[in-house]
Parts: sequence; structure tokens; C-alpha cells
Amino acid sequence: MEKSCTLLIHFDKGTPAIANEIKEALEGNDVAAKIDAMKKAIMLLLNGETLPQLFITIVRYVLPSEDHTVQKLLLLYLEIIEKTDTKGRVLPEMILICQNLRNNLQHPNEYIRGVTLRFLCRLNETEIIEPLIPSVLQNLEHRHQFIRRNAILAVMSIYKLPQGEQLLVDAPDMIEKVLSTEQDPSAKRNAFLMLFTCAQDRAINYLLTHVDRVSDWGELLQMVVLELIRKVCRTNRAEKGKYIKIIISLLNAPSTAVIYECASTLVSLSSAPTAIRAAANTYCQLLLSQSDNNVKLIVLDRLNELKSSHRDIMVDLIMDVLRSLSSPNLDIRRKTLDIVLELITPRNINEVVLMLKKEVVKTQSGELEKNGEYRQMLIQAIHSCAIKFPEVASTVVHLLMDFLGDSNVASAIDVVVFVREIIETNPKLRVSIITRLLDTFYQIRAARVCSCALWIIGEYCLSLSEVESGIATIKQCLGELPFYSVSEEGEGTDASKKTPQANSITVSSRRPAILADGTYATQSAASETAFSAPTVVQGSLASGNLRSLLLTGDFFLGAVVACTLTKLVLRLQEVQPSKVEVNKATTQALLIIVSMLQLGQSSVLPHPIDNDSNDRIVLCIRLLCNTGDDIRKIWLQSCRQSFVKMLSEKQLRETEELKAKAQVSHAQPDDLIDFYHLKSRKGMSQLELEDEVQDDLKRATGEFVNDTDDANKLNRILQLTGFSDPVYAEAYVTVHHYDIVLDITVINRTKETLQNLCLELATMGDLKLVERPQNYTLAPESSKQIKANIKVSSTETGVIFGNIVYETSNVHERTVVVLNDIHIDIMDYISPAVCTDAAFRTMWAEFEWENKVAVNTVIQDEKEFLEHIIKSTNMKCLTPVSALDDECGFLAANLYAKSVFGEDALVNLSVEKQADGKLSGYIRIRSKTQGIALSLGDKITLKQKGGN
Amino acid sequence: MVVLAASVLSKSGKVLVSRQFVDMTRIRIEGLLAAFPKLVGTGKQHTYVETENVRYVYQPIEALYLLLVTNKQSNILEDLETLRLLSKLVPEYCYSLDEDGTCKTAFELIFAFDEVICLGHKENVTVAQVKQYCEMESHEEKLHKLVLQSKINETKDVMKRKASEIDKSKIDKNRGDKGGFMSMGSGRIETSFNDMSISSSGSGSGLGITTDVDSFSTKPKGRQPSSATAPPKGLGMQLGKSQKTNQFLESLKAEGELIVEDVQPRAGQSRVVAPAATDPVTLTAEEKLNVTLKRDGGISSFDVQGTLSLQILNQEDAHIQVQIETGGNPGILFKTHPNMSKELFSNENILGLKDPNRPFPTGPAGDAAGVGLLKWRMQSADESMVPLTINCWPSVSGNETYVSIEYEASSMFDLRNVVISVPLPALREAPNVNQVDGEWRFDPRNSVLEWSIVLIDDSNRSGSMEFVVPPADSSAFFPISVRFSATSLYSDLKVVNIIPLKGGGAPPKFSQRTNLITENYELKPWQETWGRENTPRLLAEARALIMKTKAVTRITPTANALIRKKALFSGQNVGIFFVRIGSETPRAPANKIDAMATSLYSKSLVLLLAS
Repeated sequence: MEKSCTLLIHFDKGTPAIANEIKEALEGNDVAAKIDAMKKAIMLLLNGETLPQLFITIVRYVLPSEDHTVQKLLLLYLEIIEKTDTKGRVLPEMILICQNLRNNLQHPNEYIRGVTLRFLCRLNETEIIEPLIPSVLQNLEHRHQFIRRNAILAVMSIYKLPQGEQLLVDAPDMIEKVLSTEQDPSAKRNAFLMLFTCAQDRAINYLLTHVDRVSDWGELLQMVVLELIRKVCRTNRAEKGKYIKIIISLLNAPSTAVIYECASTLVSLSSAPTAIRAAANTYCQLLLSQSDNNVKLIVLDRLNELKSSHRDIMVDLIMDVLRSLSSPNLDIRRKTLDIVLELITPRNINEVVLMLKKEVVKTQSGELEKNGEYRQMLIQAIHSCAIKFPEVASTVVHLLMDFLGDSNVASAIDVVVFVREIIETNPKLRVSIITRLLDTFYQIRAARVCSCALWIIGEYCLSLSEVESGIATIKQCLGELPFYSVSEEGEGTDASKKTPQANSITVSSRRPAILADGTYATQSAASETAFSAPTVVQGSLASGNLRSLLLTGDFFLGAVVACTLTKLVLRLQEVQPSKVEVNKATTQALLIIVSMLQLGQSSVLPHPIDNDSNDRIVLCIRLLCNTGDDIRKIWLQSCRQSFVKMLSEKQLRETEELKAKAQVSHAQPDDLIDFYHLKSRKGMSQLELEDEVQDDLKRATGEFVNDTDDANKLNRILQLTGFSDPVYAEAYVTVHHYDIVLDITVINRTKETLQNLCLELATMGDLKLVERPQNYTLAPESSKQIKANIKVSSTETGVIFGNIVYETSNVHERTVVVLNDIHIDIMDYISPAVCTDAAFRTMWAEFEWENKVAVNTVIQDEKEFLEHIIKSTNMKCLTPVSALDDECGFLAANLYAKSVFGEDALVNLSVEKQADGKLSGYIRIRSKTQGIALSLGDKITLKQKGGN
Repeated sequence: MVVLAASVLSKSGKVLVSRQFVDMTRIRIEGLLAAFPKLVGTGKQHTYVETENVRYVYQPIEALYLLLVTNKQSNILEDLETLRLLSKLVPEYCYSLDEDGTCKTAFELIFAFDEVICLGHKENVTVAQVKQYCEMESHEEKLHKLVLQSKINETKDVMKRKASEIDKSKIDKNRGDKGGFMSMGSGRIETSFNDMSISSSGSGSGLGITTDVDSFSTKPKGRQPSSATAPPKGLGMQLGKSQKTNQFLESLKAEGELIVEDVQPRAGQSRVVAPAATDPVTLTAEEKLNVTLKRDGGISSFDVQGTLSLQILNQEDAHIQVQIETGGNPGILFKTHPNMSKELFSNENILGLKDPNRPFPTGPAGDAAGVGLLKWRMQSADESMVPLTINCWPSVSGNETYVSIEYEASSMFDLRNVVISVPLPALREAPNVNQVDGEWRFDPRNSVLEWSIVLIDDSNRSGSMEFVVPPADSSAFFPISVRFSATSLYSDLKVVNIIPLKGGGAPPKFSQRTNLITENYELKPWQETWGRENTPRLLAEARALIMKTKAVTRITPTANALIRKKALFSGQNVGIFFVRIGSETPRAPANKIDAMATSLYSKSLVLLLAS
């Protein structure tokens, strides 16, 4: 068992204190110098020095000091020094301090007594404590409460020691007596705590005899009472009834901490609806009454837990929870919405949506900076409501469509995506939505929103009037033709005026982007920037939004416009009986398309039209000129079908996820049953094992380590020296979260004794050695296990170098054996994680470090290669399986992982099958820090060969 | 509801101070704290972070983060309360709220944190209270120090008083000696002058006496040389002396000095030696009694030392031999002076010089007490040999202690001038004596009650006294010392005859005196006194005890610590041992450390760590 650490102080290595100086100062009479020297000594000790020679000096010169600070520092010193030898026996010189401690326990100064008692709480050595017990007990009855409360704690910790029950046989008796007379709330709490931990029966007894007065007790005591109740009821479920009353009475306590505790106690005790309801009500009350964001968030967490276990009860409280939307904090609002969305039922949906709508309206009026994000959140919430309960869609969709022209692009996109989904799933609303969309189309500012809206117009304008007004709207938005003409001087100057502006914008924000399928598109981000900068290209109001967008050079949008027009014309051919009208429309569309092409090839814009858009636009022209049934079918039906398919797949995925979630929360029939008796326990009593609070604490202190696969252990053995070296060493590396433990076995292969054998380790990267190496003596052909702890502070590939240095009796120089490097694998730190597509994109755009690795592999199949990469990098593929399904000779996928330090690792894989059957392409890794990008790249380069 | 650690970090993530309240390894806490800066995001409006296992609750303070690490089930409301309190405390103790300021006051911060959180539980304190606790100003300590100081002062006063008293008694003694010397009617040259003055004072009027006193007290220095030339002789006190000292004492009393007359025993002693040698040959047999009795009966030590001395006034009577007769007590061992003929003594019980031609030294040249001829010694453990046993029973009743003392004398001796001195706890007034056989007086200065019985003979072989004092520890009444004298001896030595060696005339007339006096006769609470001179013997005894009893089952840690400490300070191997007899607790050894150990370790019978 490793020594526990009670104290950390930053130590500036620049001013090392010499042990001799400290010693001199300690021996002197100057109190200030003594204090200073004690501080230095403690710092040195914390820094890993052992300073054994100082102990006697301290015993001789510091122990008798009368200064209070010196005495307190002395206690700190005693706290951190090694008090036992290697075998766990108390060092004999330690009893020298007993006298001093005893004097302190009888010191006339109550604070000295108090701090000494507190020090005893941290002392584990029975041999030192034993002679002090009478003095400790005397202090139980001291008239100063400061002493009493610490004395009680000291008694408690002594009693909790392994032999504590023999040392203090009648401690519970005494404490019980103390408890009955004690007035100080803190001391009373401590006494009750002592009984609670050491003699639970007595604590219960006390509680039950004073049941009427519990509500008058101090806050601290009430907390312990609740803790006791929890514990008792866990072990003895049958006795719940006795305590519920107490909890109910405490629910009205003046202290909010107690109320909170009551609620969580209630939840843990009972699953009766009344109890849960009471708890939930209390939480809601706290949620509203507490102004602290932390409290709100944590209470929301609690409510979330309640929601998953007692959904039916929480449903009734949905409106109470929703009220916390009034908090301006986005995190709180997000959490609230998350909870609420899972609680909506047909009964409350209307209420909820009404509330959400109100909130949305509020965001329009307010000037708060986070309004945009909040609105987006609300829209998403409404979206999911509408999908779950299509009947509400009608009430919200029109409201939401007002936000299509929102300056917040993200929320506008959300709205348009929502509209797109609703129009498909809710055929009844189709007509009204289309009418509305056509009416508001001119307001749309963002290119991505535009293209989506255009798609909707193209797909869902079915009737003649719809198609006609659709074409009219687009035409109106494009404005006068042509976009650009050399002959017209006025427009030419006009255009040339515009260009520099557009130019600067596009160039500054040109970024590569990935499409939804993961492919790389050279997309100009000008559209977004154009919106963030409100200076819309001049004349936009007159000539329409589409025109201004096109004039910035967004030819992708141009292609979409072309396609939409084509679709509309094709549909017009079906619904318009008059050939003339059709031809008219066709020619007009052709004119628009051609002018776009012309604009693309003109020199006014900095970038000529890209090939992709050019191809699509040309395709549209061909189609309009020469329509065939097959093509028509593809354009008019297949597109829609694939959209339907996408929607249904999305739904399928969601239901599958839900199913998976539901399955996870319950035990599988063939799940392992945990027998507490067989659990690894490390000196815990059985009661503690059953105590989830204790478990929680144990986990927090790191005492509770999840057992790892023992079989995997042996894979991790690294040979550090050769077999013919005089010293053979091998290491077994365990990687915990923030630390690496090297278990190094050193074997002396010679027939001589190796003296002063020392394992010197050095590290590269973000690794830090915790302890300094020790010297060992190794008998001939014997072995030694050496443990080295290394701290890790970020996800980077680290390398540990090392030497083994030793002396033998006949050769006086030190001999050095250089060890193999130990590489610490990045894979130990990253774990697969999930994030939304949008989040992935933003991170991809933000992150500064990119590592591009060319694909070079023997694997012939794209999917096999992807799987191999996923496996070897321990990442999660974000691209849905359906998108990777078909054989098309190329594949693009996004992978994502998170490190234990909270860093994100993004990978995009784009491969193409060459004619010769080989794969080519790139793997791009992006991260915020260089370390991840580099080491992950190295890893991939190493692994992509396909072997191991 | 447990706070794992309270820490202060710099904004860059450097751990400045961290105090852990539950057991956790260094790696763990360092790992947790190292992870924190990465977890704390910017632009968030809440100040807690949860990870898989722990929750961090923090608060930025200028260039620092104040951080609590708790488990996840911890009560957030309470933790926030704690954090708020700590955040008020940090600026109180840090000079400046940055790295330097925190590092400099790291220890003060730790002390303050300790006051707020105890074993991970929040204490019910306010900022002011924490400050008060950390300042550690204690009324009680001040009071204690005052009491201590006043005690020291008091002791100093007592010391001063004692010193002046000693000075005075020295002067006093000088005078007394001088007086004694002066009054001695021996044939010294200077004495003639003194004799005159004495005679004048003796015969003169009261006025003369006072002037004499005045001359002594005002001009002691003038007389100094004379006293220096004549070494004081304690045994030479003569009749006039008591008168003289009394005068001094009276005058001292008149001057306001409280002096307790304590003359009886001396008078007794002096009476023994006093009779002037009127016969040409005087043989004095004297036995001195050294007895230590235990409080609860039994003898701790019993030792009789006897001498036979011869005083011859005239040269012509010096050629003699002395025929003696001993009581045949087998316990007594006689030793003759080296000049004596041993054969003669062992065969015929005659004391004579080896060289019969030499005379015995005569009076003026020899010792005032005469020439020692024979010495003897007797030791015994037989209780019946003790001439006088004393039983003292202090008993507390209510607000008073009743002490009853009784004596019992053996029928061997008739004891004279018996004085039993009982030490009393410091009293302002004389104790209340309920009943007494004989007389009593109280010496307030030494706080001794003296019970005197002029003669103990067959009429009063036993007697008792009872007195009442305010409540006191029973050990306060010990040791009781006893003085008495008697005329018969343990050895029953008798001078039968004096055989003249020359002249063949009738043996010169001789007188014989026998005298038994107490030298050290005490009733002690415990067996031994602890004293430096006793140490080797005690050590030996303790070893013997260990050998016999094997009483020490173990050396307790504290005792061990004590031994080590002593060794450390003295640089030698040392031993401490506590002797326990009967049901009594061990006698407290002389110094403080030992006293501590004794009270702690009354269980151990004997502790010894020698060599």
C-alpha cells in the first residue's frame, strides 16, 4: 500500500535549501529562523528528500519550542515523515515524539491541544498513539468546544485503526455520554459521526430516542443523520419505515443543503411514487430558488437520474423543470431541454410546445448575446418534439419559418432542415409550407439555407400554381439578367466595384470543407462570412438575395439554382397543359442557366466556376434541351425517394439507439453476477463494500481500481536489456489514467554482488518521474522488483529512457547498462467517442494541427482498410454504416476519439480504389495539440501496412 | 459529503498548495490536480467540473483557482458553502493573489484550511473564527503563564528569604560557636580574654548583657579575626552557651525576625557530652542510632554505631589498661584502634596499647571527647530491636485531615527527651491538637509539629497524639524524624576496671558514662530516598529485584522513549527504574521526566536499561 499524501506545496527548485543550513537555523534560538527552517524542511521532504539526520535535531531543538507556529509546523513535519521502516514497523526513534505530543495534549493553550488532536486523526501508528490515549480522553471533557470537537474526531480515528477497539474499549460509551451532554453543534456532529462509524447501533438508538428534536438540530448534524439513515436502510431494508418520517420532517429544514440531502436520501431509500415525487418536487424547488448555476446544473443531473429511473413521475413535473429555462445560462437551458424532451408525452406535448414557442418569441425581442444559440437550441427541441408528435408540427412550423432569414446561420439551417423533414413526413402541411416558403424565400441570406430551401421548392412544388410561383420566386430573387455583361459599361463598373469586396471576403475565409459523406470539397466559405459581415452586396434588396450570393462567386449555389429550375420546368411539363407556356418557361430557365455559366467564365469574379458546378449546370442545360423519360424519372422521383430513405434510416438509427440504450440499462440474462464476497476488497469490511457512497469515495481517492484483464498483462512485457548482459531487466507497463507504473524486474546474472544498483530513468515528452531512484544491493543471481511511477500530463507519445548503474566489489568504477527505450503508446490514452456531425465540422475547421498521411497499404478493399484503421487507432467511425455500404470504388469516413485529458482527435479517411486494385488517398488527422496529431500519425503510418 | 482535497492552483495549472483530507496517494492527487486545468473550460458560467470519479468545484480568484475536489455524491450546496468560506479566507492570508503570494503563505493557508475542513467534513466556522483559531491566542495559556510566573517569583522570594535566613543563621552560628568556644573552660590562651567577657556578662546586670549583644551585632567584623583563628567546635558547647544563644534569639525576635527556638535536642545532646571531666580518667561509651522505619511497619535500615573513648586528664595517669565487659551480643562486632593490642583484647577483654611503655594521650592534647579505643557496629533487621516505633495514620474526613500518631517504646530502654517531629503541609495556624501524651509545639517556619516527651519509661511505654489539619495528602506528613537519648546501650559495654601499668598504685579513679543517642531516626513513606549518592546501590538493588521478580514484562514505548531521551541528552547509557512495593504506586523519582514516566507507567514495576 502506498503512502498517502496529505499535503502538496509548490516547491521552487531555484532556491534549494541545504540541510546543514536548516539544521543550524533549527538549533538557533531565533524563532523566526526556526519557523523558516521548518518550512524549508517540510518542503524538502515533500519534494522527495528524506533528510534522516534532521529528525534528531528537530527532537532536540524544535520539540521544546514554545512558539505556536513552530509547534504547528512540527505537527505537519511529523505528518509527512516516514514513521515506519520497510517492514511496516514503527521506527524506534518515533517514540521520542510521544512526550511532546502528550505535553501538547495538556497544553494550557486550547488551540495547541486542538491541532494536536487533529494531527492524531492522521496518525496510523498504534505504538505512538497508545501512550497518548489517556490525554486524549481527558480532552473529551475540556470546557473549550474547539478541543472537544477535535478530541472526538481523534477518538474516532483511533477507534477506526486496526487495533483501535482494543486501545479504546469503551470509546463508544464515552462518546455516547459526551453526545448526551454536548451543546456545540460541531462537536455534537463529530460525536454522532463517531457513533455512526464505530457503533452504528448506538447512533440509531440516539437518533430514535431524540426523534422529535431532529428538526431542531444543527445543519451539520442533520446531514450526518441523513447519511446514517441511508446507510442503515441499505443494510436493513426492512427498517425504512422508521426513518422516512424523519426525512419528511427534515424536508422543511431551513438549510438548503439538508433539503438537497433529504431528497437524495429519499430517492435512495424508496421507489414509492410519493417519495420520489417529494424528492423531485424538492429538487424542482431548489432548481428555482437557488441562483447558483452549479447547484442548478447538479440538481438537473439529479433530475435526469430520476427521469431515467422514474419516468412516469417526472412526467408530471415537466412544467416545473421547464421553468428553469428562465436562467440565462445556456448549459442550464440545454440540460433542461434535454430532460424535458425525454419526458414529453401526448398529454403534455401541447403545453411544452407552447412554452417553447413562447421562449422562441422571447429570443426575438431580447438583446442578449446568447440569444442566437438559445434559439437554435429551442428550434432543435421543437424539431424533435414535432418529429415525435407530428400533430404539433402544424402549430410550430409556421412560427419557425420566420427564422429562415435569421442572421444566425446555424439556427436557420436547423429550421430549414426541420421544414424539409416535416414537409416529407407531414403531407397535410405540404401546401401551406410551400406557400409560406415561397413567400419568405427572399429573406433567406445564407447560401446553405438557400440551397436547402431551393431543394424543397424543387421537390415539393407539385401543382401548377406552385410550380409557376416557384419559378417566379427564383427569377425574382435572381434579378435582372444577365448577371454580367461586358458591353454594358454601367454594370461592368458596378461589377468591378463589387469584386474587390467579394474578393477580399472569399480569399480571407477560404477553407477546405468536408461534405456530409466525408469527401473533401473545396468550398468557399464566403457565404457564411458574407452574412457575418452585414454589408450585403449593394443592390441586393432590389435584385434579390440569390443574385448577391451568386455574385460573390458561390457557384455551388448556382448549380443548385440550375437544378431546381430544371426540376420545376420538368414538373411544369407534366402539369401545364399549354405547350407554349412550358416552352416559355424552359427558355427562360435556359437563359438564367446560361447567364450563370457566363458569369462563371467571366474575369470579373476572382475564381472562375469550378468544374463540378460547371458540369452540373451543363447537365441541366442538356436536360432541358433534350428530356428523356429515364432522366425525368431520376430527377423527379429518385431524389425524393433517396431523401425518404435517408429519413427513414435516420429514424431507424434513432430507434436502434434507443433500443440499445434500453438494453444497456438492464442486466443481460447472461450477465455476470457480482458477489460482494468475491470482489477485490483491499481491507474493506463487508459493510463498506455494500456501501455505494463509500464506493464513490473509494473511486474518487483512487483506491478502487477496476480490475483489468489479467491476461492482457503479459502482452505488455518489455525486455529492457539483453540476455547476456550482467543485469537482465524487463518491465511490465501499466497505464492508469494519469500515471504509468513500471514494474521492473532486475536480475543479477553474475556471480558477484552488485552494489549501489540504481535504475536511472529519464523521460521525453509530457512525462514526469515521480520519485527519485533508490540504490539497491543485489546478491548474485537474485532478482529485485522495482516500481517506478511516471506521471502523464497530456496525450503524447512519450519515451522513457533508462540506465542501470551498479558497482561491484572488484571494479570500482560504476558500470552502466543502457536499457531499451520504453515507448508509451498514445492508444492507451484515447478512447472512442461520439460527437455530432456539426460539432465535428466546427472542430475540424478550428483545429490548428493537421497531419496528412498518404495511404500506403496492401489491403485491397476500402472497407477492410477502414476497419483496420479503426481497430488500430481505437477510434469511432462517425460516418453511418449505410453511407459506406455500396461498392463504388471510393470511401470517405470520419473518425473521432477523445483522450483521457479531454482532448479531441479527429481523423478523416478518404481512399479511392485505383485501376490496378490498389488503394490510394489520404488520412488526415487534426487536433488542437501537436502531440496528438503527430503521435496518431506515427501510429497510423506504422499500422496501415495491414500487418500488425 | 466528503471533501477530498482543498487546493490552490495558478491559472496556468501549477499546484501551489493542496491539502488532502482523506487518504490518497500522491500520484492520485497530483493526477487529479493536473487534469483539472484541462477540464476547466472557458466561457462557462458554472464553476464545477465532473469527471468519471470526482467532482471539482472551483472559484477563480484573480490569478488563482481555488479548488475543492469532492466525490460525486457530495452535497454541492454544502461544498459551495465551504468553497465560499475558503475563498474569503485565501485573501486574508495571501499577500497577493498570485503565485508568489500563495507560495509564501502556503503554510498559513494550510492551517486555515485545516480549520474549515476536518477529516473531509465541513466545520461550522466563520472567517473570524478561523482567524481566531489560527492566531491561537489563548486566555488560558496567558493565565497559565501568569500563574507560572508568579510561582517563579514566589519561589525566588522564598529563595531570597532562605538565603538571607541562611546568612543570618551563619552569623548566628558563628556567634553561637564563639559563645561556645568562649565559654569552654579549656586551657587556651585566647580563652582567658573571652572568659572574662563571659564572666562579665554572666555576672553583670541586664544592661551589660545588652551592650554585649549590641557590640556583637553591630561589629561582627571586628570580631571576625578572632573567630577565624579559632576553628569552631561543635561539641564544645557549655552551659553558658544556651543562655547566650537565647539572648541572641531574643534580640533577633525583638528585631522582628521570626525564629523558632529549637533547643531541646541540642540541650539533650549537649548534656551528654557536657559534664566536665572531673575525674582523672573518664571513659565514655556512646552509641549512635541510624534507623529508617517504613511507614507501614518494618525496618528499612537499622544501624548502631558505638565508640568507647577514653579521656585522661593528667599525664601521670596515662599508663593504664582498661578492662571491659561486653554484653555478649553476637550481632555486635568490635574493632579496636590500630594502636591497641588485639590479642589482649580478644583474650582478656583488656584494652591496652601495643607498646606498654607508651602512655595514652592525655586530655588537653587529645580530642575533647577523648581518645577512641574501640568501635563497634550492629545491624539488624529485627523489629524488636527498635527502641521506639511510631505509627502515623492520616485520615481524611470531610474537610479535614485527622492525623493520629502513636509511639510504642520497647522495654529495653528508658528514653529521654524524646522529640517526634512531624512535617505538616504549609499551614498558617498551628494545627488543632485534640489529644496528646506529653507536650507539643508547632514550628510555623519549617511547618513542623514537634511532640516531645521528656521521659519514656515503664509508666508510658506507649502514647498517642491526635491533631487536625486542613485536608492534605497523606504523604505530606512524612518523613517523621525522632530524636531521643538513653543511658543504656545495645552493647551493654561496661568498664570493669582500670589497671595501672606503672607505679603499681591504686588505679586512678575513673568515671564511666554511657550514652545512646539518635543520629538519624526516621519514619519514611517509602523504602528509599532517591539521591545521587544512592544510585549505584539502587541500581544494584534494582538488578537484584529484576533477577528475583522478573517483573518487567516489557518496556513500554514511553519509558523507552524516556530512556532514549535521557541517553540522548546525557550521552551515556542510562537507566530508569521505578520500585514498587506492595500496593503503593512507584515513588516519584527526582526529576521531571522521570516523574512523567512514573505517572504514565505505574504498571511497570521495574524498568531498567543499563549498558
